[in-house]
Amino acid sequence: MKNKWEDSLSALSVGQQFAQKVKDDARKDKIRRYAPLILLIVMTIIGAISQKNFFSWGNIVNIMYQMSIPLVISTGLMYVLLLGSIDLSIEGVMGFAGSFVAFLVINNSNDNDFGLLGILLVVLISTAVGALTGFLHVRARIATFIVSYAMGCIMTGAAVLVYRGTPIQVKDELFNVLSQGMLLGIPYLTLIAFAIFIIGALILNYTAFGRAVYAIGDNETAAASTGINIGLTKIKVFALCGCTAGLAGILQCIRLKLGQASLGTNQMFPVVTAIVIGGGSLSGGKGGALSAFVGVLIYTELVNWLTLMGVDPYVRKVIQGVIIIIAVTLTISRSRKTISK
Amino acid sequence: MANSKKSFHISDFSKYMCLVSIVLVFGVFSVIIPNFMTPYSLQNMMTEAAPLLLMAGGMSFIIYTGGIDLGAGAMVSCTCVLSGVYVAQFGNAIIPIMLAAGILMGLTNGLLVTKLKLPSFIVTLCTMNFWSYIALNLCPNGSEIIPMDKRFMVQWATQKVFGIPIMFFIALAGVAVLYIFQQYTVYGKAIYGVGANVSATRLAGVNTDMAQISAFVISGACSALAGALYAYKLKSAVPTVGDALTLTAIASVALGGTSMAGGRGSVLRTALGVVTITGVTSGLNMMGVDPLWKDIVIGVILIIAVCLNTDTRGRDLIVK
Amino acid sequence: MGELLFEAKGVGKTYGSNTVLHDIDMQIYSGEVIGLIGENGAGKSTLMKLISGVEKSSMGEMFFMGKPYSASSILDANHQGIGMVFQEQSLVGSLTIAQNIYLGREKKYSTCGFVNWNKMNQDAKKALERIDMDIDPSKKVRDIDFAARQMVEIAKVLDVVTEAANGHAIILLDEPTTVLSDEEIKKLFVQVRNMKEQGNAVIFISHRLDEVLDITDRIYVFKDGEETAVMQTEGADVNLLYEKMIGRSTTGEFYVEHKQTVPSDEVILEVNDLSLFGAFNHVSFELKRGEVLGLCGVEGSGKEDVCAVLVGDAAPTAGTIKIKGKECTFANPYQARKKGILSVPKERRDEGMIGILSIEDNIIVSHMDTLSNHSFLSAKKTRRIAQEWVEKAGVKCVSINDRINQLSGGNAQKVIFARALESGCEVLILNHPTRGVDVGSKEEIYDLVRDMTAAGNSIILLGDTLDECIGLSSRIIVLRDGLVTGMFDCPVGEKPLQLDIVQKMM
Repeated sequence: MKNKWEDSLSALSVGQQFAQKVKDDARKDKIRRYAPLILLIVMTIIGAISQKNFFSWGNIVNIMYQMSIPLVISTGLMYVLLLGSIDLSIEGVMGFAGSFVAFLVINNSNDNDFGLLGILLVVLISTAVGALTGFLHVRARIATFIVSYAMGCIMTGAAVLVYRGTPIQVKDELFNVLSQGMLLGIPYLTLIAFAIFIIGALILNYTAFGRAVYAIGDNETAAASTGINIGLTKIKVFALCGCTAGLAGILQCIRLKLGQASLGTNQMFPVVTAIVIGGGSLSGGKGGALSAFVGVLIYTELVNWLTLMGVDPYVRKVIQGVIIIIAVTLTISRSRKTISK
Repeated sequence: MANSKKSFHISDFSKYMCLVSIVLVFGVFSVIIPNFMTPYSLQNMMTEAAPLLLMAGGMSFIIYTGGIDLGAGAMVSCTCVLSGVYVAQFGNAIIPIMLAAGILMGLTNGLLVTKLKLPSFIVTLCTMNFWSYIALNLCPNGSEIIPMDKRFMVQWATQKVFGIPIMFFIALAGVAVLYIFQQYTVYGKAIYGVGANVSATRLAGVNTDMAQISAFVISGACSALAGALYAYKLKSAVPTVGDALTLTAIASVALGGTSMAGGRGSVLRTALGVVTITGVTSGLNMMGVDPLWKDIVIGVILIIAVCLNTDTRGRDLIVK
Repeated sequence: MGELLFEAKGVGKTYGSNTVLHDIDMQIYSGEVIGLIGENGAGKSTLMKLISGVEKSSMGEMFFMGKPYSASSILDANHQGIGMVFQEQSLVGSLTIAQNIYLGREKKYSTCGFVNWNKMNQDAKKALERIDMDIDPSKKVRDIDFAARQMVEIAKVLDVVTEAANGHAIILLDEPTTVLSDEEIKKLFVQVRNMKEQGNAVIFISHRLDEVLDITDRIYVFKDGEETAVMQTEGADVNLLYEKMIGRSTTGEFYVEHKQTVPSDEVILEVNDLSLFGAFNHVSFELKRGEVLGLCGVEGSGKEDVCAVLVGDAAPTAGTIKIKGKECTFANPYQARKKGILSVPKERRDEGMIGILSIEDNIIVSHMDTLSNHSFLSAKKTRRIAQEWVEKAGVKCVSINDRINQLSGGNAQKVIFARALESGCEVLILNHPTRGVDVGSKEEIYDLVRDMTAAGNSIILLGDTLDECIGLSSRIIVLRDGLVTGMFDCPVGEKPLQLDIVQKMM
């Protein structure tokens, strides 16, 4: 069997070989970690070359605006992916949050005028739904993909029930201001979205809770032996994800001034793709705020290109699917023994 | 490790759950709705349940392995549209053609999961886009009715023999075939093994890749057939027919007592689960309940059923 | 030697009907290093599990600092002053060294939930300095090498237990030197001596007897679940230790030696210059029909990896495997089985039994494709085959439809043996076949092994104990650090001395 190992084999003892292997694996890991950043730089260079006003303030603000809602979703989703879990209920919660908040503020279909209170209520409900998902996962030991999928369907159903087929149009002045207004040339929506992300990133990197999330995703048994309350941490993560999903739904409603279930459609999957491209792992323990940000940025630029090239939105969905398959395939462990189901 | 005392656990319910729920559902509804158990209403339910029996039956195999197919509904829409649009050209030969299409779709999913080692929920969420794309591309303006002069070709499926719709017989035959496959073939046992303990099954020398691929192929074929049956039932190509079906199929499997962690279950019990869910949806329909509640009800049923099925007791699995 | 820190009286552990540890009396004094040696399965790890809080003892009592001691969890033990550095890495790669050391203890560094990493880094620096480690605590663990990680783990455990027991802590080190180079081992020993001087006690578990003789003050020797000797290190020598570790008076009867088959001349399996980078090198041997080939070696010698390659779980990086003269490669255990190689795995619960499936299914699973008629299995046939095996192997069960995880360890193992025998594979790899099995079932399993060779199968055996290996095998190959260091013939009546083999192992 002729291969590159044969020369090194005779030279090193088995112990030295083992140390060598460990070093090689560490090096490969490092490359994998810097790959998204390199990809981002390459894409930015290509963008700068192909578009004249790529670095103009207008274009930068445009990209930031397009990043806004995915960034809010990624704030919660990055925690979930760090655990090695998934939350398929995000789209449903978004749709429900957007529909219900439209229902509660000044609109064209009823006399409600709950304003900020309405927004607060919707955020609380979204957080509670997330917490329930987490609770069912922890207590009944159900895989997250199934319990979040079921919860998502329920919330989508609830969303449709809120407006009964005719989407609600929002007439609230606050929503109007938030939708059109700008500060220093940056839309309020974008500022709010980035603020939410920064808060989420701070919590992940500066609290014991954030560290616990990494630990559980990396090695749950070891984490348990340090006294971390695994169940509670998981529930908190899903509550957080529900909260950000709700916020994202509200922001969508502000953006479109419309309340309907489809506010959430096709919103979660691109963000999962983005986080994985940015360096996150589906099996947990890897990734974080920087990966999420880089990933969403790369993904937004990619979508930008596809739209500029005039690609049909349905074809875009198919391309999305192909991208995530490639991204995940490149990042997972490829040993013989791993079997995924 | 000797297990001298078996302590009662909530998951012991799951064995009886499907029987209990059928009795409960049909019992309660026949009391509330006077016409619930009339021949006409039952025939409607059978026609309603037929495609779902195939779809949920096939999906069971993927769930036995511990995986899931979140794009099954999209497969159904895809083949419903293909059948509706091309039945005029091919007549009843469209059915074996759809079967072949389903096998191909399942094979795609199976290969992606086993060869690229990707989790099934991600793979099926991706391929789902592709199946919907086909469906929406062929019917960009919504449902297309099968032209009147060709209608006779699809008439037979909803005809009744001994009061039972023919498509229901087809579904029952399908379930019977699936049962034989599950109990009496090598692949059936291998599929259960993969769900029960994939490392042990693999080290015992079983071709686990083949087992997983067969599960996806079976499910694909069944979903495809279900799509064709829908085209025959609705006499048109409906690109959105499968939207809510994935949830219903999974709920039926769960209601049948199959654990989402895999390793155990039976298509017969899944069939009972389908009957129960069909009873629920028909009953709610007859009661005049807003159809918008359907998804919520089925979602809640799914969650309750999955909680009762939880079977991680005998295994040291870390659930993610 | 200082005051008495820890005492165990009559401690033991039983799993079901299987007693793995009994009558352990131990005293640990402040300021000493205790060596704990014994073969795999002798009970050392079990005792460590009891002391470190992973498991509860089934009998006996333990005392720490004069008061009764029992720990409900690792954390509980830590809080009382006892900490273990496990063999498996328990650090989180994406977090920094400081964050790992203080994982779960961030409270005193946080205000309103937000943690002051600077303050934590400062304290981490002190914790690292305690073991003479000069490394930036804000480095991520994934960026430092194995040896450094090992030291960080030690620093972490030390920090946790000294916080609790201040100078009277007990640190358990489980095979700490396996991944270290000679330089790094020297540094580790300096730290162990430091810990000693601070008044703590260290329990040092290792199979490297030269290291044990170097660093410890007293040595406990375990064998077959009990304590066979306790001695001062000064004056002890390797031969004495070997004798206490493995000397046994089990008779040939126990290993059913009268049924040991003389192998024929037919070579079934030929392995030439087989290597797996980082695991083993230049391994060559022949396996004849009817032969039991024992692979002896300590943990890390590469014997497990040789089996993994033969069974299809890992691809060799060089060398060839020939079955009946034809060169083969296997991409997975399925292909290996098709070529005639099957294993009885070491971890019965995780890799051996298909827990929730029936006894019948577990027996036929490795042969079902051949038993089937165009993929269809006859229920009558499979039931008959399973029933026959259950009777032949003496499996105690109510019916073959019982779930296999309802059986005791020994009975479940017999089912897996039945599976191997039914499979029709000519080369069977038995990986620690009597692990966790009660004595009665052990003898029945040895009988089954004799039946296997009598039926014309060839066996590669990784024995639970050296004694078992010698008793069952017709030939033994010894591996050390990935290389073959010795080969011994073991015909009945002329079995080699354990001492000779052990010298090649260590």
